[in-house]
Formats: sequence, C-alpha cells, structure tokens
Amino acid sequence: MSDTAYLQQIAQSDYKYGFETDIEVEKAPPGLSEEVIHYISDRRGEPDWMREWRLRAFRYFMSLLERYEETYPRWAHLKYPDIDFQAISYYAAPQRKPRYKSLDEVDPKILETFRKLGIPLDEQMRLAGVAVDAVMDSVSVATTFKEELAKHGIIFCSMGEAIENYPELVKKYLGSVVPYTDNFFAALNSAVFSDGSFVYVPKGVRCPMELSTYFRINTAGTGQFERTLIIADEGSYVSYLEGCTAPMRDEHQLHAAVVELIALKDAEIKYSTVQNWYPGDAEGKGGVYNFVTKRGICLGENSKISWTQLETGSAITWKYPSVILKGDNSVGEFYSVAFTKGYQQADTGTKMIHLGRNTRSTIISKGIAAGYSNNSYRGLVKVARTADNARNFSQCDSMLLGDKCGAHTFPYLEIENPTAQVEHEATTSKIGEDQIFYCQQRGLSEETAIKLIVNGFCKEVLAQLPMEFAMEAQKLLAIELEGSVG
Amino acid sequence: MALLEIRNLHARVEEKEILKGVNLTVNAGEVHAIMGPNGSGKSTLASVLAGREDYEVTEGEVLYDGKNLLEMEPDERAREGVFLAFQYPVELPGVNMATFLREALKAIREHRGLPPLSPAEFMKLLKEKAALVGLDPSLKQRSVNEGFSGGEKKRSEIFQLAMLEPRLAILDETDSGLDIDALRAVADGVNKLRSPDRAFVIITHYQRLLNYIVPDYVHVMVDGRIVRSGDKSLALELEEKGYDWIKEEVGLVA
Amino acid sequence: MTTTLTATTTRPEDRFLHAFEAYAGEVLNGTSEHLATLRRKAIERFGVLGFPGRKSEAWKYTPIAKVLQHPYRIDPMPTVPALTEQTLAGYAIPELDAYRVVLVNGRFVPELSTTSDLPEGVVLTGLEAAARRHADLFEKYFAHYLDFENEPFLALNTAFARDGFFLYVPEGTVLERPVHVLHLIDTDEELFLQPRNVVVAAPGASLKLVTSGHSRTAQRTFTNGVTEVFAGQGAEVHQYDLRLEGEAASGIFSTQAYLEGGACYTNGTLTLGGALVRNNVSVRFDDQEGEAHLYGFFLGRGSMHIDNHTMIDHAVPNCVSNELYKGILDDEATGVFNGKVLVRPHAQQTNAYQSNKSIVLTREARMYSKPELEIYADDVRCTHGAAIGQLDEDGIFYLRTRGLTLQKARAMMLLAFARDVLDQITVEPLRAYLDELVAGRFGA
Repeated sequence: MSDTAYLQQIAQSDYKYGFETDIEVEKAPPGLSEEVIHYISDRRGEPDWMREWRLRAFRYFMSLLERYEETYPRWAHLKYPDIDFQAISYYAAPQRKPRYKSLDEVDPKILETFRKLGIPLDEQMRLAGVAVDAVMDSVSVATTFKEELAKHGIIFCSMGEAIENYPELVKKYLGSVVPYTDNFFAALNSAVFSDGSFVYVPKGVRCPMELSTYFRINTAGTGQFERTLIIADEGSYVSYLEGCTAPMRDEHQLHAAVVELIALKDAEIKYSTVQNWYPGDAEGKGGVYNFVTKRGICLGENSKISWTQLETGSAITWKYPSVILKGDNSVGEFYSVAFTKGYQQADTGTKMIHLGRNTRSTIISKGIAAGYSNNSYRGLVKVARTADNARNFSQCDSMLLGDKCGAHTFPYLEIENPTAQVEHEATTSKIGEDQIFYCQQRGLSEETAIKLIVNGFCKEVLAQLPMEFAMEAQKLLAIELEGSVG
Repeated sequence: MALLEIRNLHARVEEKEILKGVNLTVNAGEVHAIMGPNGSGKSTLASVLAGREDYEVTEGEVLYDGKNLLEMEPDERAREGVFLAFQYPVELPGVNMATFLREALKAIREHRGLPPLSPAEFMKLLKEKAALVGLDPSLKQRSVNEGFSGGEKKRSEIFQLAMLEPRLAILDETDSGLDIDALRAVADGVNKLRSPDRAFVIITHYQRLLNYIVPDYVHVMVDGRIVRSGDKSLALELEEKGYDWIKEEVGLVA
Repeated sequence: MTTTLTATTTRPEDRFLHAFEAYAGEVLNGTSEHLATLRRKAIERFGVLGFPGRKSEAWKYTPIAKVLQHPYRIDPMPTVPALTEQTLAGYAIPELDAYRVVLVNGRFVPELSTTSDLPEGVVLTGLEAAARRHADLFEKYFAHYLDFENEPFLALNTAFARDGFFLYVPEGTVLERPVHVLHLIDTDEELFLQPRNVVVAAPGASLKLVTSGHSRTAQRTFTNGVTEVFAGQGAEVHQYDLRLEGEAASGIFSTQAYLEGGACYTNGTLTLGGALVRNNVSVRFDDQEGEAHLYGFFLGRGSMHIDNHTMIDHAVPNCVSNELYKGILDDEATGVFNGKVLVRPHAQQTNAYQSNKSIVLTREARMYSKPELEIYADDVRCTHGAAIGQLDEDGIFYLRTRGLTLQKARAMMLLAFARDVLDQITVEPLRAYLDELVAGRFGA
C-alpha cells in the first residue's frame, strides 16, 4: 500500500492558487525600524494612540530580537532555517490607493484576482448569504453586504476603518486577549499589523449571514501580518470564516497574524478557517511560514467559542487556536483537520484554559500526513484551581499515508482542581488494507477508496464547518489527495 | 459460455496451501451452494474470486465470462459484475453509506456505459432496495457498517448486492450469526434478486439457509477441493450425517 | 576594597566539575584505564550539557535546577554505618524468598547480603567488586548501552559512580528466586548519592529483580541513581522498583533497558515515598519481536513531587510496548507523567499502547500529564490515552449502601483504582506487600 503510485502522487500534488497578479505596489523597504513603524502608521493614516501602541510593541519585539537565542520559540516539532526579520518588507499596498471608498476605485486586476479565487466582489456576482472582506497583502480591498449588516447594528469592516470609526471598541479590546508580550510572533504582529477584519455584533443580535475574510498574499518579499478582532456582545451570535492563498514562489514568505475573539455573556462565536497558503513545491522549496496566534476568551457566563480549521497549506504551520474559559458554564471547542504532504510541517493544536466553574471543552483533531511531511498535534488542557467541575474531552487521531512521513501527538494536561474530569485519547494508524479491499470489491478505484476513507476520517470535523463551506472544504481535501492540477 | 469457470485452482496464504485444485462451472441463472467443514477452503475460494491480495494463486485458472478473472484488479472485477457479500463486512468510520453506494454505482454504471443516476433516481432506488431486505432507509445516513449489529451488517451486504446488480454474487457465510428473522429477510432478498442472467454462489456451513434459498447445485468442499456435487438433497444428507462420512469416503479420515 | 561575588554566580554544575577533579584519580578509578577514559568523557559531556534549564521540555513540570541549587555533599565513597539484621528485618518483604543485596548509601555491604546458592555462572555482587573480580563482564556492559552522551544525569553518574550492584545471569540460566536489593540511606550528612547498577540477562536467561529504597535519616539527601539493564536474545527480565524513602530524600532514578531480539522486559515503578522523585525509564529495542511492559503506580502525599518519565524507542520493526501508569495525588502533592513512544522510520508492525490515569483528591494537589507519540512508520498501531478525574461516586455510594463507612468505601475504591497496576506484579509476595502498603496509606 505504502508505495503505490497513488500515494506517491499525493505526495507531489500541485497547488492551484499559485498565480501572481501583476499590479504596481507601494512597498516599505525591507527591515524593521522605528521609521518603518511610522511609515506604516503614516500610510494607514492612524491616530496617535495607535501609533504609540505599535511603538510599544515594536520596542518589546526588538528587545526579544536582541536576545533571540533565548526568546525565539523552538519547542515546536518543526525544522526550518532561521528567519531573517530584517529581510522582510512589512508593508505592501496597491499603488493606486491605500484605502478604497468603493469598488470603482479598485484596480480591475485585483477584482479579477479574487474572482479567479472564487470570491467575486462585484454587486451582481457576490456570494449569496456571505459577507466578504477581501484583503490583499496589507490592505482590505472591499467588504460586501456592509449596509445590510449595518441594519442589524453589526459592524463588519477592515481593521483600518475600525481604528478610524470605532476607536473606543478597538482601544478596549485590541490586545486584551493576545497582549503584545504574549509571544515572539504576537509582538511582531502588534508592531507591524496591517488590515484584517473587525467585527462587532451588538447585544442580542444573531448575525443573519456568514462573515468571511479572504486573505491573499501577492507581492514578493513581503510578509502578511493581519490582525482580526471579533467582539460578540451579550447574547449575540456570529459565524466567521477565513480563507487564504498565496502565489507560488521559491522564497519563503512569512505570515504572522493575530486573531482575538471576545464572547460576552451568553454570546457565541464560531470561527472557521480554511488555510491554503502556498505549501512549497514537491522538493520543499518555497512556501509560506505560517506563525499565527489565535485566541478567544469566553468572558461572560454561558458563552461559547468554537474553532474549526482545515489546514492544508503552508510550508510551516505553527498555530494553536485557543480558548480561555473565564465565564462560568462557558464552552470551548476545537475541531481540526491538518493535512500535510510534500515537505510540509505542521505543529498545530489548541489550548483550553479552564478558569470558570462548570466550563466544558472538546478537542477533535485529525492529522493526515503524506509524502515527507511531519504533522504534529500539540494541545494544552489546563484546569485552574478556580475551575470547579470542568470537563474536557480530547480525541486526536493521526493517519499516515506512506512510510516517509511522521505523525505526532503531544498533549499537555495540567490539572489543578480535584473536581475536573479530563480525558485524552489518541490513535495513529494507516488506512486498513481490508477497508480499501472492501471498497474495491464494490467497484471503487483505490484512489476513490482512499479519498472516501480519508474524508470519513475527517467527517466529524468537516461537519462543523458552515454549510456554505463544508462542500468547498471537501473539495479542497479531495484536490489535495488528487495530486493533479484542478 | 459459462459465466464462471474455475479450473484446477490452487491458492495459498503465506506458505500454507489452502486450495488444492478446485473445479467449478457456474452458468448464468444458477444458484450453487458450497458447503463444507471449517477450514476446508470455502472462504478462501470467495476471497480469491474477489481478488484479495493475501492469497497467492499458484496454479489453475478462473474464467469469468470468458475473461481471465485472476488478472483483474479487485475493483475491475466488481465493475465487471462480481460481488462478494463479506463474511465480516468491514467498517468504514465516517464514510456515509449513501455516498459510498453512489460512488460505487457511478463507477459500475460508467463501466457499463450508463450515465450516473440523478440524485432523485438514486434516492428512489436506495429506498426501494432497502425495503427489499427490510432495512431501515435511515441507514443511508450512517457510516458504512459502523456500529451495525451483526444482522444489520449482513442485511446491508444483501442491500448493496441489490443496489449494484452484479452478474455473479458470492455470499460468504452470510447466514452465520443470524437469528431466524434476519435469516429469512436475507433469504427473501436473495430470492427476489434471482434472475436468468445472474448467478449465485452461496458459501455456507449449515444447511439452514438452503431451506429458504433452494440451490440448483450443492457442492461439498473438503481440504481445498470439491469432493462431491449433487442437487439440494445432498445438503439435507449433510445436515443429517455431518461431514465425517464424506471425509471418510474421500479418504481424509483414517 | 571590593569583594568578589563569584560564589553567588557559580553554576551548581561547577561544584560537580570541581569535585570530579578532586576525586578523578585513584578514588574513582582504581587502576582501570578503561574507567578513567570513560569517566573523563562522561564529565566532559556533563560539562557541555549542564543541568536541564527552565525551558527543557523533558523537565517542564519538575524544576530540578532549583533542587540542585542546594549544596549537597558530593562524596563518591560515603561512610557506611553498621547495621544489624534486626534493623534490616524492618525492611523485609514478608514471605519473599529472595537473594538479598544490601546497599547502604549506595555502597554494597557484603556482610549483610545473602548471595549464596546462586546457580553456576551467576554473578551477584557490588559494582566495585565486579569491576575488580569480573573485569571482562564489567567492561563489556558498564555504560555500554547507556545514552550518557545526551543525558546530563547519566553522564554525571557515569563520571562519579563507584558502587551499586552488579547482576549477571548467564546464557539460558533461569534464576528461580528473585533478587531483592535493599537501598538504604543512612547518614547524618546532606549527601548527594550516585549508585550505579548493572543488570545483565544473557540470551535465554530469566530473572526477577525487586529493589526497594528507604531512608533512615531526616537529612536532606539527593540520589542520582542509574540502572542499566541488558536483556539478550529471548531473555526475560522483571524489574520492580519501590520508592519508599522519607520526606527528605529526593532523587532521580534512571533505568535504561536495552533489548535484543525476542527479549521481554517488564518494569514496575511504584512510588510511595520521597520528596521530589523523578523516575526515568527508557527502553530501546535492538531487534525484532521484543516486548516491553511498563507499569507505574504513584501515590503522592504531603508536598511530594512525583515525576514519571518514560521513553520507548521502537528502532526496529515488530515489537510490542505497553504502558500503564496510574497515580493518586493527595494533600499538596504534585504528579507528573511524561511518556514518549518513538517509532522510527522502518519500525513497521509496531504495536504501542500507552495510558496514564490519575485521581486528584484535593484542591492543593495537581497532576500534569503529557503522553507523547512520535511516529515515523505507517504500518503501526499506536494509541495513547490520559485521563484525570475522580473516584466513581456511584461506586462509593454502592459500597455505603452495603454498610461501609465513607472512609472505608473511599479507601476501597482507591485500592480498586490501583488494582490493575498492582495485579501486574508477578512476584506474589511483593504484590501482597504492596496491596497492604497501599491499603494502609488510605486507612483501609
């Protein structure tokens, strides 16, 4: 099984979002300095408080960089050369306009790019039932359905607009879940972050449509450092989805985003990710380095935060969407499928920090490794002394497709309360030959059989994605398994 | 031309020879029962016909519709119309039954030069065939064989047989572990599926199933060979006397 | 006039490096060139590795550097007070008919050891004695399979260890009676002890080993003990380690087992005493068809800190490993389980199972569990699980409806929790003894 032509094929399949858009961009000179921070703040026309906030983070990051050997996080099961933080350009924007007032101002080439990616932004063609914020490099291109959402009092805009129009909300919550001192990459992001999405759902409002952001890295030699902030006020509900792609390049590009979620009393946030950054070529050349800090806090009682992720892209993935369960009776969920092939490396999982009473968390993680890839689950479940009657259940399964790859499981259980019930289970196996034979006996090819079985393996997680995207996700997984250009 | 022609078939698993020269001819429309004691090679024969890789054919040939069956991949055999009802149906966690059958039917129909069924046609067929074996149609929502009871698994095999409409259906101990109601349901299903262009090879240890599915021929397999063939009365004789007398007759017991 | 502050900036490692130079000559090595070279290499490795720092993943939940700040007295040949048979009787395991080896402060005491009637070819003596009298065996096995290149505590022990016990069972010999090794700490100094034990089961040999550690002092001590186990082709080794030291005794107890093809190794680590106790058990399969069973039970009380660290290295195909560690944390105790199963490329058909279950009884107690799977071969079956929870309340209620007091019912349920580990012990008197010990701790 392990050396059939089909599995070989999986190991080498191609990336179909690898094209590049030829537009003129304005780009910050490579490197990090106070001038660059001012440059970013200037271009974005930011108020002083924001500039100061960036500078504080910048100084902190530089202090980390000075003690790089000590401060750089190396605990993940990942191997890659050191990143030269002075070689990256921290800002890139289409030359025509750093901020758009309407679609008419947007370079048609950019609109065409998103159309090619399946995200039409024009009035007539936009996706029904889904509001989209489209971000290319450092700038938000357009946000659809804004007026419709405004009727419900929902704010959905780029971070840049939020800083300008809703400074009080931004000041109150930005960095409240992931402070700039949190970790190496969060510090970097806080200093140089560019557009991401801002969402505020007012009290008691159930957001009537899916909110979605599509991130695209386009320009060479740049990184992407978006920042997303979602606040669900008391009793509200919102479902948010992000997708991402990048052109194929021989160089590695850095993506270091920060996402913060805040769920107040009785509120629920569902956050889904389909991550498909360029993974590098079949020899492991190029690909995005994806170092992301995602964290939500269930601040109020009975609140809920649910992360679902389908990770198929990036050369390196370092990502642990987490939930701080502060409010009593709050609920945290993490559902993940991570598929690695070629020379991809993923170290991903979650942290569930139980602080409140009767808090519950569920972790379902499915890792699939093919080719020469390494796929690790790393997850923390912490039950603090205050968290009476906390419950956690974790199920982390790995599947190996081939004998050159690795699948690893690193759970951390830290229990400091006698009433906690925490349970972790994990298995590692390959697809059973009897399963493939059974499918073949019903007329299915080996390829179809593997696809079906892998899909079945991931079903519990894929079922968590919003309906509009579940099909997309299945297709993406099928393409990943296919080893051919879509 | 016979639908299935097995000539002097020898097969082994690892170093152990299990089939030691099987000869069998099956024509379209016929129902053959293969009986025999445990370890006689009945299930091995089924597995070899379906193309399981663990078995190595060392001698002999199998012609299916005049073509060399042994050269075909397992899925090719299935698309050509060979169906095996597994003795131990395999669980496919998370693989939805309806999706599974839709993919299978699509592959088989494509092979026969037929277009895929529309979703509505497919669902209609699924309901119809589920009713045939008395299966709750809600099973289409469930994962293939996962969490099925023993009886459900066996019924589900016959249900799949009905869906995929093979030309040669091999039932490997489909009756084992079934209570009388399930046994009847399975037999009912099979009887309804009998047709002039479809043949059945029913492998069983007991005569019980043959009370409900009346075979045209009964074969007795002992130590890797078919040692006796007859009509349904042979099965009754076996029921009455057990297998030892046959073993003695063919000189396998001192 | 300025005062130098070098004393406060010295790393704890330096004390050992200095001590090594002081003892490096004859005290440590006698006249053995082989040993002298080995020790020099080991201390150099230790100097490079140093003690694990705050960021070391393997020591994440056990702040060992802090404990080692304490100025323990480094003495490779501590004095051995005289002990009577009567004193020893207090540490006997009832009904256990075994060869007895007594180590006091890490040193072999021949007068108190009963090693007569050994089958032909079996060597059971002190490590130092073995080095002198069985130099060929000693040199063949001592530090041979030990990974001191990468483990600072193994390197440190290799540099300093002078004594301990040495057990060799020759090819095809079955040692019917178990060997009971009594480790006693008896001192009025704050000693840093480094006993070293070597256990060899030659191909086809079979042995059962019980070690129990006790302390007879209120002085703070630290033991950096190392046991090397070699199991030849088809050999069978059962090893049970009991930690029954007092609340001033801390230590790291490392066992490294090296298994040839078809060898079967069982390790039971039962920690009921000590202050900070770290048990390292690692197994490496050298050839196919090997089998390793690791069982652990730990019961933390007071402010005990118990850390069980295991590593199973499936370097070759077709081996089986099975791990079950259970713990109960009472009072302010801390428990840690960190087990790694590594399946290297080509180690196909590996079957590995790992499970850790714990009960936290109080608000001040805590449990950190970190089971790990690192797998590079696809045709394997590996599972692990970890669970932390409470006693089954329904069970307690059921027992109480049958007339048991709450305390009795709880004790019975706790013992039941430990049962599946204790029942794995194949030396019956030891099993009975532990049953009693554990039940006694719960007040049953």
